[in-house]
Amino acid sequence: MASPPPGIAEILNTVLQPDLIASSLRIATPLALAAIGGTICERSGVVNIALEGLMLIAAFFGTAAALAAPTALGVSPVAAAWIGVLAAVIAGVVMSGLHAFTSITLKADQVVSGTAINILALGLTGFLIQVFYDRQGTTDGAATLPPLFVFDVKASGALGTVWEWVNGMFLGHTPLVYVTIVIAIVAQWAMYRTRWGLRLRALGEHPRAADTVGINVVKGRYVAVLMSGALAGLAGANLTLEQVGSFSENMTSGRGFIALAANIFGRWTPVGSYLASLLFGFAEALEIRLQTFAAAINIPPQFFLMLPYVLTVVVLAGFMGRAVGPAAVGKPYEKE
Amino acid sequence: MRRGIRTVLALVLIAALSMLALGGCGGTTPAEPTTPPAAKLKAGMVTDIGGLGDKSFNDLSYAGLQKAEKELGVEIKAVSSKAMTDYDSNIALLANDKYEVIFCVGFLMGDAISKAATDFPSVKFGGIDIFNGGTQPNQLGLLFKEQEAGYLAGVTAGLLTKDTAVDPRINKENVIGFVGGMPIPPVQKFEAGFIAGAKSVNPDVVVKSLYSGSFTDQAKGKELGLSLISQKVDIIFAAAGQSGIGAYQACKEKNALFIGVDSDQYLTLPTPGDTVITSAMKRVDVGVFDTIKAVKDGTYKAGNMTFGLKEGGVDLAPWHDFESKVPQTLKDAIEKAKAAIIDGSVVVPEDPTKA
Repeated sequence: MASPPPGIAEILNTVLQPDLIASSLRIATPLALAAIGGTICERSGVVNIALEGLMLIAAFFGTAAALAAPTALGVSPVAAAWIGVLAAVIAGVVMSGLHAFTSITLKADQVVSGTAINILALGLTGFLIQVFYDRQGTTDGAATLPPLFVFDVKASGALGTVWEWVNGMFLGHTPLVYVTIVIAIVAQWAMYRTRWGLRLRALGEHPRAADTVGINVVKGRYVAVLMSGALAGLAGANLTLEQVGSFSENMTSGRGFIALAANIFGRWTPVGSYLASLLFGFAEALEIRLQTFAAAINIPPQFFLMLPYVLTVVVLAGFMGRAVGPAAVGKPYEKE
Repeated sequence: MRRGIRTVLALVLIAALSMLALGGCGGTTPAEPTTPPAAKLKAGMVTDIGGLGDKSFNDLSYAGLQKAEKELGVEIKAVSSKAMTDYDSNIALLANDKYEVIFCVGFLMGDAISKAATDFPSVKFGGIDIFNGGTQPNQLGLLFKEQEAGYLAGVTAGLLTKDTAVDPRINKENVIGFVGGMPIPPVQKFEAGFIAGAKSVNPDVVVKSLYSGSFTDQAKGKELGLSLISQKVDIIFAAAGQSGIGAYQACKEKNALFIGVDSDQYLTLPTPGDTVITSAMKRVDVGVFDTIKAVKDGTYKAGNMTFGLKEGGVDLAPWHDFESKVPQTLKDAIEKAKAAIIDGSVVVPEDPTKA
């Protein structure tokens, strides 16, 4: 406590760095991928509370594939990481197939099915770490995807400052960070500008009407659930194969549920989901930077850890009207 | 009607699958052959949420059990907790399976252990990081002076951050960082010791501390590490379970140095290497082994035991890749600090706000 309390200038100087935005984008990416998956799934009338479990399973199989690829296929580390991403997407699709089967074909309660998958994912991944790596908790380190745009350019003066900020904020991210933005925009366009999107929304609002005009409800919902599995798979791949390079038990730490909130906050639209995730990401990035001053201004770190959630509640309660989801969400479709 | 049957079918399918998976990690070992002739002592442990494989705290407790298995011929078993709600059932699982000594690993299991000590009076409990404030005749608190290990890590970081000649990754700024998991006493004691140790050799050093609020969230740990490094930090000490692995990844990626925690993390991190200077070790294994030995010898006593530098309960890990890089002055400073702590001339604070 020898140092004097920090001034506002020092706090601003620490917080307002290009890294704040870069960090927000990084934190937002897995949330947004899962949230857009949730949006597509719920728009078709199926609740997907299993996002957390899908991410976890995908993160595990992605890491496992990336670890196995160099020896099994003799590929380079970067290629191995991409194979891992593919494996993660496949794992997400397969697991979401289980959710689709129980909730669409068997017409089981969708929340129960999703919860079961979450529990299954936690247990299964822990068990498989032991089977594959003969130990518990954390896998070995796998190769990660390198940043996409790396420019070793130095400029001076005002132009240099601008370059430093642009470079620090938006360049130097890993590929899936950019892919996510593209996915959000494409999904938004597809949902509101294509025949597929119109049909998808019809499935979630009034499946009987959709059925009477000849739309295959079961098939349409299956496709939507599997798509959400693929996106949750990408989210898992981002966590392990872009961010940290190894899988550990329960490493998703509730991101699947925050993604569900982002989907609602984004009013069941892909771009809305992305922006909501970005807000959550920004809140967390801000929290991390403000927390540095916890000791100096004598506020316990718990207070800062709480901030992103407080912001979420305030935004949800204060600035947003009533959020209304698709009318038929959660209801299995009974053909007469 | 058909719908009802299908729903039931679906639920049974899901339940069966989850059981399969959960059973797998809870340990589906088929029933042990009935009691062997020379009734072995059975010692078990229940991990905290980080679980086995955290490459630090829980794994180290298990190492203590394994040592007891080898040297004392004890039958051992570890059960992993996936959530805080698993504590009670995991303890009951071991107690009902006739385990006589059960270790509860971690501060967060405090309530669970005192409840279990009442429910299973014939079982002897060892609570790692859990102070036994009650009168339970079958509960022993194994406490560690984390602050003393943190102090040694602090001396290391405090001296190295000034010494740019040691490694090109050390910058000119006099700033070092700490990453914690949840802000709970065992972690805060590491932080307090780290700050005190660093300031003892480098009074002007700035120590920036961040908590992830989680022991499992690797990605958050990495964000904390990246944030510290962008604030001119060149050496990070992490006491954060698997979140700490994330902080380590940040150091590796951004060319900073890392000090590990609990076990010798140079040996246990995924893809370790010359990013790890040393680790502030908490010899939980020593505490676990000693307790099992006491039970076997009939000298187990309820209450609390504290393991510090003096008792061999905390220490600094070997330098590994830094063996030749670390200057002799640092090695001397560590020995001096150790001697001062053991003879009591230095008392390391436990509260980060007083460090």
